[in-house]
Amino acid sequence: MKPGNAIEVKDVKIKFKNYHDKSNTLKDRVIHWKRNKYESSWVLKGISFEVKKGQALGLIGSNGCGKSTTLKMLTRILYPNSGKIELSGRVSSLLELGAGFHPDLSGRENIFINASVFGLSRKEIKNRLDDIIAFSELEEYIDNPVRTYSSGMYMRLAFSVAINVDADILLIDEILAVGDITFQDKCFNRLMEIKQSGTTIVIVSHSMDQIERICDKCIWICDGLIKEEGTPLEVRMKYLDYMRSKKILKEGNNEENEDAVGEVVFESASLTDMSGNHKGVYFIGDELKLRLDLFAVGLFEGYQIEVNLVRVDGVFCYGVSTSTDQIECKPWEGRKNFTIVFSEMNLLRGKYYFDLHIIDNQGVTALFEGKVAEFEVENQRSERGMVYLKHEWIKE
Amino acid sequence: MKQLRELWQYREMVFSLVRRDLKSRYRDSVLGFLWMFLNPLLQLCIYTIVFSIIMRMNIEKFYLFLFVALVPWIFFSTCLSGGAKAVLNEKDLVKKIYFPREVLPLSYTISQFVNMLLSFIVVFAVVLISGMGLNLKALCYLPLIMLIEFLFALGVVYIASALTVYFRDLEPFLQIVAMGWMYLTPIVYPVDAVPEKFVRLFYLNPMTSITIAYRDILYYGKVPDMLTLLNAIILGVVVFIVGKILFAVLQKGFAREF
Repeated sequence: MKPGNAIEVKDVKIKFKNYHDKSNTLKDRVIHWKRNKYESSWVLKGISFEVKKGQALGLIGSNGCGKSTTLKMLTRILYPNSGKIELSGRVSSLLELGAGFHPDLSGRENIFINASVFGLSRKEIKNRLDDIIAFSELEEYIDNPVRTYSSGMYMRLAFSVAINVDADILLIDEILAVGDITFQDKCFNRLMEIKQSGTTIVIVSHSMDQIERICDKCIWICDGLIKEEGTPLEVRMKYLDYMRSKKILKEGNNEENEDAVGEVVFESASLTDMSGNHKGVYFIGDELKLRLDLFAVGLFEGYQIEVNLVRVDGVFCYGVSTSTDQIECKPWEGRKNFTIVFSEMNLLRGKYYFDLHIIDNQGVTALFEGKVAEFEVENQRSERGMVYLKHEWIKE
Repeated sequence: MKQLRELWQYREMVFSLVRRDLKSRYRDSVLGFLWMFLNPLLQLCIYTIVFSIIMRMNIEKFYLFLFVALVPWIFFSTCLSGGAKAVLNEKDLVKKIYFPREVLPLSYTISQFVNMLLSFIVVFAVVLISGMGLNLKALCYLPLIMLIEFLFALGVVYIASALTVYFRDLEPFLQIVAMGWMYLTPIVYPVDAVPEKFVRLFYLNPMTSITIAYRDILYYGKVPDMLTLLNAIILGVVVFIVGKILFAVLQKGFAREF
């Protein structure tokens, strides 16, 4: 292993056997010992990559491409058929939250059991107990049996244990979707802290946004091979292009399928002033124009566009949608842009961003993109709070 | 070496599994922990009735002769048949999370071993009540023979639990094996009763030497024969090592089988 590397994966291949009639009893093996027919399918066909110490790597790809299998091999749940995997240091994996939780035991007892599954000694667990409970925000309920918890509380407890296990290498599979938005942000911030402390992170996620925010490097796995490797931004562009072309191809094949609902992809967003000049810093009272470029694969109809304004610390400031303003959204296909103008931007000093959310008429999310555009507000005055409210003092 | 260090790191998991196992086994029963003592005592009654009233063995204090061998045997046979499911029962954990898989057979064996140690309270009580007395010098060998039996049983649990993942119906088969094995071990009869030409074969069974050693210490009150001890140590360690290696190889495929 090269010095400075935390993970080295060399030409790893793995295949799974798909049995026609899988039997794993002694009886069947004896009676039908010739009839155990199976087909092998190679899930990974030779992938190699390296992760440096302290780096964060994101794995992306469509379902079944082998990204979760890769993670399972890194954590030694699965072993490759050929190739070599080397890891240096203590590995902790957050593939499954709440492993070994016992419903009848209290939250506190379960912390001990669950943390022991991560390889912590009793002393280590005791040292962390307060942190874990504080992070989960379950102080009042910690001595109640876990079966009385809501699923959100359950996940919060599980995540708190997992995130408080100190490791040199942390492997994470799609788990940042825990609890409410505030707790998700908390988990995310904790993850950033962990990264800053020098822990190597490998994360599998469908959310390009999460990967872009946390990772230094991104690998796109496609059909068991590495298709693209580079910075998250580079890989994202290529990945989205590919997904788009694949969808068009699919649409083309299914022309007779009347039920096919179009899909929509976010391309870009820009912030400008009224004359169309790009602008990242605003003053109170300025005009702000947000332009969204979208691409619809197939005919896209029956939708609402929602734009949410969030302060950088996660405080939700303002949300508006085409349905609240009773704007009619016309069906369209291909490229299209939407523009929303805020004629008097009265936010106080700080950093803000827009989230984009597109919902179909059934209320199902068709597209969600976090942080499509970011901007900053500057002002010399020293009011406090979030927005400027027009006011005047009346002197007696 | 690296494996051992990792296993040490996961010691808390072993202990918590042992605690959970011991707690849950008796929690829902009315008599609770009393079963731990009642079970060997009731078995003792049955065997004593059969072998000292019906099929008379003409052995002085037969109940004691039997009991000091029966308790260690129950430990081993539970490991053999029950230990088969040590990995299978935790398949959700195995499928989803990494930990050294050896934790599972190890904690199963430890919890059975703790059970046996508690049963030994009854054994000592019975020995004292019988008036046979205890030889302190011989008693020093008791921990050694217990350790050997533990290693041997652990090796067997390694093998049985790993194979059961691949052959799910192994457990009922092993129960029959355990029953047959009991009668091929000098537990209800002395080893002298074995026909001369089979004696060597009998000593290939690690449980033969182990049973004889227990009986020497607790029934005859004498230091076990060095040859018997050596035989037990060698066979026990060999089975342990074979089991460990087999388990290490087979565990790589566990997650694929679930």
